[in-house]
Amino acid sequence: MKKLTMIVTMCAMVLAMHLGLGTAHAETVVKVGNILPLSGPSASVGQQGKQAREMAIEEINEAGGIKSLGGAKIELLYADSKSDPNVGVTEAERFINTEKVNVITGAWNSGVTYPSTAVAERYGVPYIVPVSVRDTITERGFKYVFRIAAKDSWWTRDQFAFLDDMQKEFGDELKTVAFVYENGDWGTGFAAQWVELAKEHGYEVVLNEPYPSSATDLTPVVNKIRRARPDVLMLVSNAADAILLTNTLADYKVSPKVIIGSGGGHADPTFLSATGDNAKYVFDIVEWEADVNKPGAKEVNAKYKERYGTNMTGEAVDAYVAMYVMADALERAGSLEPTAIRDALAATEYSGEGLITTYDSVKFDETGQNENAALAVVQINDIGNGLERITVWPKNARREGYTPVFPMPQK
Amino acid sequence: MDFVFLLQDVINGVLMGSIYGLVALGLTLVFGVLKVINFAHGSFIMVGMFVAYWAVALTGLHPYVALLLVVPAMFFFGYASQHWLIRPIFKAERDVREPTTVIIVTTGMWYVLDNLALLLFGPDYRALTPNPLKGQMLELGQIFISVPKLYGAVATFATCAGLYWFMQKTRTGRAIRAVSLDRDAASLMGINQWKIFNIAFGIGTAIAGIAGVVLTPFYNVYPSVGVPFDVKSFVIVVLGGLGSIPGALVGGIIVGLIESLGPMYMTATWTEAIVYGLFLMVLFFKPSGLFGQKHDW
Repeated sequence: MKKLTMIVTMCAMVLAMHLGLGTAHAETVVKVGNILPLSGPSASVGQQGKQAREMAIEEINEAGGIKSLGGAKIELLYADSKSDPNVGVTEAERFINTEKVNVITGAWNSGVTYPSTAVAERYGVPYIVPVSVRDTITERGFKYVFRIAAKDSWWTRDQFAFLDDMQKEFGDELKTVAFVYENGDWGTGFAAQWVELAKEHGYEVVLNEPYPSSATDLTPVVNKIRRARPDVLMLVSNAADAILLTNTLADYKVSPKVIIGSGGGHADPTFLSATGDNAKYVFDIVEWEADVNKPGAKEVNAKYKERYGTNMTGEAVDAYVAMYVMADALERAGSLEPTAIRDALAATEYSGEGLITTYDSVKFDETGQNENAALAVVQINDIGNGLERITVWPKNARREGYTPVFPMPQK
Repeated sequence: MDFVFLLQDVINGVLMGSIYGLVALGLTLVFGVLKVINFAHGSFIMVGMFVAYWAVALTGLHPYVALLLVVPAMFFFGYASQHWLIRPIFKAERDVREPTTVIIVTTGMWYVLDNLALLLFGPDYRALTPNPLKGQMLELGQIFISVPKLYGAVATFATCAGLYWFMQKTRTGRAIRAVSLDRDAASLMGINQWKIFNIAFGIGTAIAGIAGVVLTPFYNVYPSVGVPFDVKSFVIVVLGGLGSIPGALVGGIIVGLIESLGPMYMTATWTEAIVYGLFLMVLFFKPSGLFGQKHDW
């Protein structure tokens, strides 16, 4: 008798569980596969992307999920690419064939994004790329790949746009420009684009000087800059040489009207402490800075900092924004058909909640590149709280109450 | 105007070059006496820089006063390294003509020291604080002379002179020279060659420490800072002649001048190629270097 009751109870429990699961199944879930470098050399940046995604999706789900899909909740799945292109490709295959995801996002490393987007394209699954800078990712005529962040060539483009805008705003005229850069892939790539842009914008290039990143003395390079007397000095440097150059420039009292870095060494956290006042008034281009003057940015950054202990980085912001852009597209698609999601993404013009970037809306061009994506320029200055990086450009993102020092005062 | 810039570059080249000479001096000394290529030399400079950095950061003393601490500390560090790490290998390979295992030991020390520094201090770039020499420049009209580099060059010549005097005039110095000429004959004359090795390695390391002190006022301290100086030291030592003290100084100044004057006529990347090209040429045409002794090879 006892046995029978037990069997009956168990059957009832199993049935109840099934029913319970059944009702859960009735509610649609949007599955999003995320390929990120969660271990290996780029793990820290992969973790930033994961954290930002989780925070955004929690907010979206709490606000009622995707309403046009009956309040569907978004579920995030993760795959660790280890920065390895082969792993990225197999994980994309697994997401599509086994997990049946509706959207893929990733993969931070351009090298992983490039082949894994090709997989998604082949199967016709929408793939959102928050950050990966290589130009060619969106230049292969793909229909299902959409990139939020600026591409490589736009960094140099925006450096020149910044110079144009500053001259307009402050009325100083810049005529000559010097390019000084580390002689690796990164520096020489930038320099090739600078030369083109300088021609377009009507500058005279007075110095085009690569230097070895391992140089122990950059005085000769600084003397060359001093001799060339440029109005604008544009730099691509790693940390050790960025510090050495900045200090030596100050020692020799070389003061062009504008010095502008390209992230990297100039954005290194130890740059400010190792150069001190010598770094004052230097400009640097970045994806995002915590003080950017955009509605909601301060709050989102504060929430992120409280949860994860650090300020948001450009990578985190792009991942965060990507989730909102995706939710918006799903809302307008009203269906989980890949083509419907794809068409909705292509028609995106998002400027709603969560858009804390320096620019005002996300809109994809026919290649899938966010045509509004832009970078920000910061100026290093001390306005009473020690040296800090202050967003100055674009003007609508400038920190409230700050007037950029332009041109740099003569030393 | 051009003459001013030429003079400026020559001055900077000589100053920086003599500091390079100081950086290479310890390496050449250790090679001259022990016939050991010390791959950890750059790391010793790094250790010297960190000792100098912390000595100044904790006590607020003038960077050059830190020499009083750095020199003995580095001497004992080198002395102990040779005694505990290199001597056993020497003894084990007594009958081997070319004891290559020693090279592997010094390479191991390089990795251990660099990674230990990374573990202890992190990858940060540290600038000396307080640094009374920071940004000090002598301005002679259009010509700028960096004061910390000037002091560095003075320290280099003082160290070279001191070392030369020590090697020529003192009993220990003569014993070191005897061991470097023929260690077996020296042993037969009653010189304890192991003790001489320890002392020579200690002096070489102490000089790396002096180089560290000289560099910190105008160069940042970080765990892998030794690597570029290590490479440069090899070039200089081969150029000047392995084991030669004046060779290190002259080799350093030659490299400094190439680096400083080269960019007037080409890009800085090319001057590096010239330095390495010269290195290969010397190896090819005069392997003993400018001041090297023929019988070393």
